[in-house]
Amino acid sequence: MDYIISIIPQMLMGTVDTLRLFFITIVLAIPLGILLAFCRVSSFAALRKIVAAYVYVLRGTPLMLQLLFVYFGLPFIPVIGIRLDDFPAAVLAFVLNYGAYFCEIFRAGIQAIPRGQYEAAKTLGMNYVQTMRRIILPQVFKIILPPVSNETITLVKDTSLIYVLAMNDLLRTTRNLVQRDFNIMPFVVAAVFYLVMSMILTYGFNKLEKHFARWD
Amino acid sequence: MRKIEAKNICKKFDDLEVLKSIDMTVDEGEVVAIIGPSGGGKSTFLRCLNKLETINGGTIIIDGETLVDTDDKGNVRYAENASQIACRMGMVFQQFNLFPHMTVLENLMEAPVHVQKRNPAEVQVEAEALLQKVGLLDKRDQYPLRLSGGQQQRVAIARALCMKPDIMLFDEPTSSLDPELTGEVLKTMRNLAEDHMTMVVVTHEMGFAREVATKVLFMADGYIQEQGVPEEIFERPQNERLQTFLKSILK
Ligand SMILES: Nc1ncnc2c1ncn2[C@@H]1O[C@H](COP(=O)(O)OP(=O)(O)O)[C@@H](O)[C@H]1O
Ligand SMILES: [Mg+2]
Repeated sequence: MDYIISIIPQMLMGTVDTLRLFFITIVLAIPLGILLAFCRVSSFAALRKIVAAYVYVLRGTPLMLQLLFVYFGLPFIPVIGIRLDDFPAAVLAFVLNYGAYFCEIFRAGIQAIPRGQYEAAKTLGMNYVQTMRRIILPQVFKIILPPVSNETITLVKDTSLIYVLAMNDLLRTTRNLVQRDFNIMPFVVAAVFYLVMSMILTYGFNKLEKHFARWD
Repeated sequence: MRKIEAKNICKKFDDLEVLKSIDMTVDEGEVVAIIGPSGGGKSTFLRCLNKLETINGGTIIIDGETLVDTDDKGNVRYAENASQIACRMGMVFQQFNLFPHMTVLENLMEAPVHVQKRNPAEVQVEAEALLQKVGLLDKRDQYPLRLSGGQQQRVAIARALCMKPDIMLFDEPTSSLDPELTGEVLKTMRNLAEDHMTMVVVTHEMGFAREVATKVLFMADGYIQEQGVPEEIFERPQNERLQTFLKSILK
């Protein structure tokens, strides 16, 4: 028990990096996903195709590969070649990747809204922005809540991939402790940390789902 | 006064000519019923009137203002304020199309407040009066999906009326309702007709068409095959297709 208490401060430090990456990714990837989803359902065929290709590539290759590419590969690209620090590189890779997943979720949600909703809005004189903001998106949010919840919990665990960039996130801190102390207890504590984060998210999303269930 | 004038309306979906040449007029206070076989283009015509569908040829004049015109070369031109003209007509759909995430009262107030930018407090007073009129004031804070089909349709009518439209368009407003619920919606529409609202109603309710309509149009194959006052259409139909149609529907 004393051992566990002694390692908790370090593990909390590691969790801070994990949480920072998590929150920044969510805050940037969701708007990116919405934006991409609107491109995906827009009437410009070229835009639709570009975004479809983007989504295909980002979902069809491992996040780990994308992470390594942004960190180690970008500097070698002519002209735009930039070297990012480990944390910005991680954020960039995660946002691009999760933006693609959120795009597909939002696209499916937007397409699930019956045409009659647009028509009713139109006969009431609402313009495109009003229709989207006040009629369509609130209904989309309800539909996408379960898949977004899933994706968000996956993200908590995916943050551990930044391990490969030698950042001291929760997972790497854990491994360092295991190697230093020849004790596997840190693994158990890390599992509990991840579970607690997932549990809080699940709880939050359940609350949201209940809130949105008021109208059906 | 002439409220709607439609001349030579043509509408195609790709190669399918749904409306070949439709001419019709609606005067102020008239209740025009459009009847005809399924797939005959009734909904499409109604949707052309308020620009939910764009036409391929013809002229539509609403309240003296040209919504859309076609020149000699066949170019169709919509007015710049076409959307504004179109939303002077309220529309009631077969599937109600209420906004499920808003309460009944919010459904009514949404467009008057956010589109017409009217004072919310005043709109609320009017919305509640309309709900009273359709007998649903006690449901004002309910969400639409909790209501019966008949109640939802009456809310939809109230929502359209809350925009203070000059004209009301109905596309088979009772067709997705259980038979025992059609009566309450038809009653609401009768009341509206008694208040001299100008109405165009696509319907399979022959009783309603016969008793409430001032004019009945029979539409089939992209043309208005016959039109007249209800007695002419129902007692002395001339057109052969109309005779067959009436026989099939009255059975
Ligand atoms: N958006 C559309 N795209 C293609 N065809 C359509 C569309 N809307 C209607 N149609 C076709 O137009 C014809 C007339 O339909 P409609 O106006 O709904 O008839 P009604 O209301 O008299 O039953 C039908 O053959 C229908 O399949
Ligand atoms: Mg129809």
